[in-house]
Amino acid sequence: MAARELLAAEAVTTFPATGTRQVWRRLRTQRAAVAAGTVIVLLLLIAAAAPLLSAIEGQDPTTYHNDLIDSASGGVPVGPFGGVGAEHWLGVEPGTGRDVFARLVHGARVSILVAVGSTVVQVLLGVTVGLAAGLGNRLLDQLISSTTDVMLALPSLVFSIALMAVVPSGFPRPLLLTLVIGLLGWGGTARVVRAQTLTLKELDYVAAARLGGSSPWRIARRELLPSLAAPVITYAALLLPSNVVAEAGLSFLGVGVRPPTSSWGQMLSSATTWFRADPTYILLPAVLLFATVLAFTVLGDRVRIALDPRAASRLRVGVHRSGTGPGSAPPLRSGTPNSKEEA
Amino acid sequence: MSRVLLVPRRLAAAAVTLALASGAAACGPKSGSAGSDAQPHPGGTLTVLNQNPQNRFDPARLYTSGGGNVPSLVFRTLTTRNRADGAAGTKVVPDLATDTGTPSADATVWTYHLRDGLKFEDGSPITTADIKYGIERSFAPELSGGAPYLRDWLAGAADYQGPYQDKHGLDAIETPDPKTIVFHLDKPEGDFPYLATQTQFAPVPQAKDTGTKYQDHPVSSGPYQVVKNENDGMRLVLQRNPDWTQESDSQRRAYPDTIDVQAGLDPAVINQRLSTGSGADAAAVTTDTDLGPSELAQLAGDGQLASRVGTGHFGYVNYLAFNPKSKPFDNPKVREAIAYAVNRTSVVNAAGGSSLAEAATTYLPDQAAFGHTPYDPFPAGATGNPDKAKELLKEAGYPDGLTITLTHSTSAGTGYGPNLATAVQDGLKAAGITVKLDGLEENKYSQTIHTVSTEPGFFLSGWGADWPSGGPFLAPIFDGRQIVTDGYNFNSAQLDDPSVNSEIDRINKITDHDTAAGHWGALDRQIGAQALTVPLFHPVYKRLYGKDIRNIVISDWTGVLDISQVAVK
Amino acid sequence: MREYLIRRILGMGGVLLALSLIVYAVFYLAPGDPAQLACGLKCSPAQVHQVRAQLGIDDPVHLQYAHFLQGIVTGRDFSTGTGVLHCPAPCLGVSYRTGEQVTGMIVDRLPVTASLALGAMALWLTLGVGTGVLSALRRGRWSERLLTVLTLAGNSVPVFVIALLLLMLFCAQLQWLPFPSYVGLGEDPQQWFWGLLLPWVSLALVESAKYARLTRSSMLETLAEDHIRTFRAYGVGERQLVTRHALRGALTPVIALSAMDLGTMFGSAVLTESLFGLPGLGRLLVYSVNVIDLPVVVGLVMVTGFCVVLANAVADVLYAVADRRVVLS
Repeated sequence: MAARELLAAEAVTTFPATGTRQVWRRLRTQRAAVAAGTVIVLLLLIAAAAPLLSAIEGQDPTTYHNDLIDSASGGVPVGPFGGVGAEHWLGVEPGTGRDVFARLVHGARVSILVAVGSTVVQVLLGVTVGLAAGLGNRLLDQLISSTTDVMLALPSLVFSIALMAVVPSGFPRPLLLTLVIGLLGWGGTARVVRAQTLTLKELDYVAAARLGGSSPWRIARRELLPSLAAPVITYAALLLPSNVVAEAGLSFLGVGVRPPTSSWGQMLSSATTWFRADPTYILLPAVLLFATVLAFTVLGDRVRIALDPRAASRLRVGVHRSGTGPGSAPPLRSGTPNSKEEA
Repeated sequence: MSRVLLVPRRLAAAAVTLALASGAAACGPKSGSAGSDAQPHPGGTLTVLNQNPQNRFDPARLYTSGGGNVPSLVFRTLTTRNRADGAAGTKVVPDLATDTGTPSADATVWTYHLRDGLKFEDGSPITTADIKYGIERSFAPELSGGAPYLRDWLAGAADYQGPYQDKHGLDAIETPDPKTIVFHLDKPEGDFPYLATQTQFAPVPQAKDTGTKYQDHPVSSGPYQVVKNENDGMRLVLQRNPDWTQESDSQRRAYPDTIDVQAGLDPAVINQRLSTGSGADAAAVTTDTDLGPSELAQLAGDGQLASRVGTGHFGYVNYLAFNPKSKPFDNPKVREAIAYAVNRTSVVNAAGGSSLAEAATTYLPDQAAFGHTPYDPFPAGATGNPDKAKELLKEAGYPDGLTITLTHSTSAGTGYGPNLATAVQDGLKAAGITVKLDGLEENKYSQTIHTVSTEPGFFLSGWGADWPSGGPFLAPIFDGRQIVTDGYNFNSAQLDDPSVNSEIDRINKITDHDTAAGHWGALDRQIGAQALTVPLFHPVYKRLYGKDIRNIVISDWTGVLDISQVAVK
Repeated sequence: MREYLIRRILGMGGVLLALSLIVYAVFYLAPGDPAQLACGLKCSPAQVHQVRAQLGIDDPVHLQYAHFLQGIVTGRDFSTGTGVLHCPAPCLGVSYRTGEQVTGMIVDRLPVTASLALGAMALWLTLGVGTGVLSALRRGRWSERLLTVLTLAGNSVPVFVIALLLLMLFCAQLQWLPFPSYVGLGEDPQQWFWGLLLPWVSLALVESAKYARLTRSSMLETLAEDHIRTFRAYGVGERQLVTRHALRGALTPVIALSAMDLGTMFGSAVLTESLFGLPGLGRLLVYSVNVIDLPVVVGLVMVTGFCVVLANAVADVLYAVADRRVVLS
């Protein structure tokens, strides 16, 4: 995750804020954006309506069905495709006989909540820290940049394990996962925001505001944040999918959600031992995970294009680049702070 | 499943993964390629594929039952386990010594004599002074890790800090001549010959001792010597020790010329390699990895694969533990209600299904050597008896059900992990008992449940014996004098019942194992009626081996095939 | 430039110091007693006390930390029981569990992780840049979308799933490849290669989506620039434009990102190392965390942290160089 800022920076050139309504209008005309948006809305609906959906099926995610699995064979579901049938729409979980459909829709809640929540934490922290570094004096900047370096250098997976052991066990687990992924992953955003701020700071209208005596806070709020929205949103769309996968990795290491709660990561990691015996069980969460990542990536792409229509035409046609506009600052490929100081 | 490999096992006793196994299926001639005869021949390389590294390969630091599987190839001990199939394999037999020891009348003094022709890998003779030194150095804090018994049993040894700090040595061990060694104990211990199978009883030449660095190349007294030890036992290569002779050793067969231990592997990979069996894997075994669900599901339709499975039983019990000092578990009726309500079918499935676990109602493992006496004080059937449980709860003053917390470890693959916890939780639901789960990270879990002041009311636990006898199974858990208030405590019920204590003392004096076993069984039954624990299951070991493997011996002591007996040609 | 380097090196020292402090703090707070774990759960309180004294962890934590820092500067001596183990500066201490020198343990495992990370990088660069170029050439067509979806598929499946699938398919089912195991490059280059192939492929599949996207958009960025327009006007072929000019522009960010990912990989390829049974740094780190082997954990975090910081510095310098070229031209 550490170096992801480069990707974001690559995706973003500096340009002034575009009106929300305009962006929205542009997005709606994009078929891919609409499709991706629909998928995301659908996933959110599934997550929100999980208890309802499993009630319609007539199952719940925690009840064991010992009669539906073959104990002597290690607990493989009886029947084809992992026990798919009228009662259990997507079959039952090997080893326990719990209903897979119910576990999948309930798992969506945790997975999406953790992914979105931790992205929000990363973005909020990253923007705050990045702005402070970009607007502060040299000492503050140096201090913050070093702190960011420390965050990037901590082996996050391993550190999560240690943190999980330190936090009292009564602490709600999804919230803890959100915080751990969020708190260990804001370094990239901070670097992007800092670099952008340094560039924006030199632009005429911001410099004017500064000379006019506006406080740094006011400058940040009135002049910078609107312009930062685009790169930050783009970057968030890159972070989100990786956070979904991060939850799976933590589950695999045994520090995921608390049983009997399900999440896609928990299902995937328990499915790894059932690869051959019950392939259906691994396929379902994997497909959902893929759909989520794909939808957020496509939407992120399209949002970027909608925010910067010139880029869109450029990307589509590949030829034009209309003169020098307000966004004529050199393409900010480097999100890395020190290259600026160097130059 | 790789979490298993990332997380150390909780109980050292279990880490040594031992085993035993069923006779019939396991020992017949092996189906090699057509035309090959079934007789074992010397030569070749045996590969061992394991999850757990063979780390701290120093006889002072190893915690083994019966001397361990790989360690026993390098370290010979005064006595050792009988290398035979099934129940016969639970016997203790002489190794370096001429017999299993001569006790004094009250079993507080044990005398051993060495057999003739014993040599180290450098050709120098093995003497009793080397054995005394080996035991003494296991007391050094630099070389901690072994079992606590020597410290508890040897007279005046409790505070000994090993030969590095105290050159005088232990007076409790006498070596009147190079072939005789005498042990003086604090108290009667009929099981002393079993203790003498542990690697601390292996000879260590003082001149070759290099302290913490000894593990890089320990001096062999067994059929193999260490030629390579990479990354603390991740890869261990053993080669024939020319100074070991078959005539001097009644137990080890040592057919292969080379043993190549490859550890740190993922369980799924181990099973795939063994079932594929290509190249060197045709002559491979595992000593610590059971079949996975993929292989179990395959067995029914694949006779070839099924013929390569070794089944064994290691004395172990997984159980629900109560802390009767905390509410509501101070009420025996509540504990009994839970004993009635538990659904052992779900529990067995969570432990890998009926092929890998047998539902248990007794604390002692289902083996004569432990003194197993069948009993079921709270007969609940395979899936529990929720009605009876509700009735008991009503009597206990909980007519509307009960909410309790079950503490467990978050690491899967242990017998105290989340899968088992949820299976228990689901089972108790039917009896109106709502179970909240409190999953703790492995170290935190271990510390919490073993500390008297933090011990939870209700938690998952397990126990394995250090040798196949009722004593090490019952005494640490139920002997009131073994309650530790300022360190790790295993008497989780904090039971201090004078009648139990005196019965333990009485049986410890008995040096005839079979007689003692009967008494241990009776004691188990007596304690079981108090519902201080709810036994859940005894694990069964099912492990694959390659098609070139012959001479399979699986004792009830270890439950896994004995590497010292295996041939690859 | 010199001032920059000095500042950078000082900053690196600060980062490493902070990392070690954080690890000490977390382990101070974490439950579990390393002495009890080293000794065995059944050890009596008296014996645990002896072990604690022997490990030096009955000192106050700030004193332990001071000893640790002192060891880095001056080296330290440890008792092996029979003699003295001299641990020369920079001494990261000895393992609580085995008494082995931490520096030695890291040096033993470094080649494994380095082989894994470098090989994987070579592969993800090939795969990612290749896909990126292809999709830049075919931008807007359905084949580009398919490529995007395919690389994203790799990116969205957790590495433990990919790794086990590959093992099952190529080693167990088809038996085209041997089951991975690590053999030193110096020992047998051929076995080294075959043993690491699947781990490389797993990591590359996970990483390459990023590189494909980065390559593609950097190239499009370059293609839109004025001098390319000029070339195009002069009739230079599209293929040549893409491969000669646009690709060159895209390489800097790709290499910079690679440097950073490579740095991260030194401590974070835990799952890959575990699944393929490679005795690398990530494995050792997780194991040491689990058994509370603090000296090993601190040592590893500092070494892997050093790799990350170094890689970041390399990335920055690459950019500085690239920027200057832009300015010069």
